[in-house]
Amino acid sequence: MADPEDIEAAELALGLLEGEERAGALRRVLAQPGFAAAVEWWRERFAALFDLWPEVAAPAHVETRIAATLDGGAAVSTRRFPWPLLALASSAIAACLLLFILVDPRPSVPVSQPVPAARPTSLLVATLESGEADDKVAPVAAVFDAAAGSLRIAAAPEVDARRVAQLWAIGGDGVPHPLALLSEAPATLRLTAADRARIVAGAVLAISVEPTGGSPTGKPTGPVIAAGVLARV
Amino acid sequence: MTPSSPAADTARARLSEVLLRTGAEDRDAFNELYRLTSAKLFGITLRICGERQAAEDVLHDVYITIWRRASGWEPGRASPITWLATIARNRAIDWRRAQGVRRTSPIDDAPDIADPGPGAERALLASEDTRRLLDCLDGLDAPQRDAIRTAFFDGVTYAELAIARAVPLGTMKSWVRRGLARLKDCLRG
Repeated sequence: MADPEDIEAAELALGLLEGEERAGALRRVLAQPGFAAAVEWWRERFAALFDLWPEVAAPAHVETRIAATLDGGAAVSTRRFPWPLLALASSAIAACLLLFILVDPRPSVPVSQPVPAARPTSLLVATLESGEADDKVAPVAAVFDAAAGSLRIAAAPEVDARRVAQLWAIGGDGVPHPLALLSEAPATLRLTAADRARIVAGAVLAISVEPTGGSPTGKPTGPVIAAGVLARV
Repeated sequence: MTPSSPAADTARARLSEVLLRTGAEDRDAFNELYRLTSAKLFGITLRICGERQAAEDVLHDVYITIWRRASGWEPGRASPITWLATIARNRAIDWRRAQGVRRTSPIDDAPDIADPGPGAERALLASEDTRRLLDCLDGLDAPQRDAIRTAFFDGVTYAELAIARAVPLGTMKSWVRRGLARLKDCLRG
C-alpha cells in the first residue's frame, strides 16, 4: 500500500496541489531526495499518457516567430549572464527600492498620468527562510515587479568562498529552474521572458549552495539554505 | 515511453539525434526538431491553455526554452518526447495558473483524448509503458480514473476538479488519493 508521502509525490507530479499544500510539497522536493525521487517516479509513469495526446498542427507563424526570437537573441542570452555584470546594478539603489516596496506596496505614479489598472497587483514578494529550527540563515526578501520584469533580491546568505548561492524558481511542475547566481550584495535581476513566466503567485523561490559557476546539472545539487512562496501584495 | 515497434525505435532515435544536435546549438537540427514535434506540443499547450492565442504564445516560449536547455537533456534519463512534452505541459500549466483562470468546464477547441480500449487495439497502438499505465487505470473506479486522467490532460488542480464534478473538495481528494494508492500497487505489482 502506498504511504501518504508517496501519494503527495503523485499529487505534485500531476499538478493537483496549489497554495500552501504545493509550497509544502515543493519544499520537500528540495529537502528530501527520497521524496524528489518519488515525484520523478510518478512523473515518468504519467508521461506514458503523452502517447495519447492528439496532435494539432501549429500555425506557420509560430515557427517564424521562434526563428525571429532566436535570431534577435532577445530572450536567449541572459540565462548564463555573468554575475559580475548583473552585480553592477547598484546594490544601494536596489536595497532602497526593496525597502520602499516592502513598506509601501503601491508603486509611485506621477499624479498627471492615469494609473494602469494592472499595476497594484503586479508585485509579488517572497521571504526566503531556512526550514531548519536552528535558524542560522537570515531571511532573504525578494520582490518581483511583473510590470518591469525585474526581480529584486536582498543580500544572499554568506556561503563558502569556493561555493556560490544559486537562486531557483519552482513552478507548477515541481521542477527547480535556475534563475541566477547570487552575491552577498542585494541586486536587481533582469529575467528572461521564459523565467518571468515562472514568477507567479504560489511559485517557490529557493536558494541552494552550488559549486562556483552554478549547478553543473541544471538542478540543485547542494543543500537548500532558504526557500519561500511568492505572494501578491 | 518504451517504443513498441521498429518504426517507433527509428523515430525515437531520430528525435534523440536532433535533440542532441540542438543541444550543440545546431539550428538545422532545431528546425527539424520543430517539424517533428510541434504538432504534439501544440496539442498539449492548446488543450491546457484552452485558447489558441495563448497556446501559440506558450508554444513559442516552449521552443525557446528547448533551444536553451537542450544541452541539459540526458539521453539515458527521459525519452526525448517525454522531455519535450513535459516542458510543454508545465509551461502551459504555469501560464494558466498565472492568469488565475480556473478551468471548470471541458475545452471546446481541443480534440478529445482517444483512449485505445483494452485488447488488440491498445496492444498495437500504445507503447509498453503506456499500455501498462492504461491497464492499471482501467482497474480503478470510474470517478477515480476520470479525475486522474483529467488532472493530467487538462492540468487542473483538486479545487478545479471538485468544482467541475460538483463534489466537495474533500470528496475529490479522497477519490484521487484512493485511486493513486491503487495505481501505485498496480504499477509496482
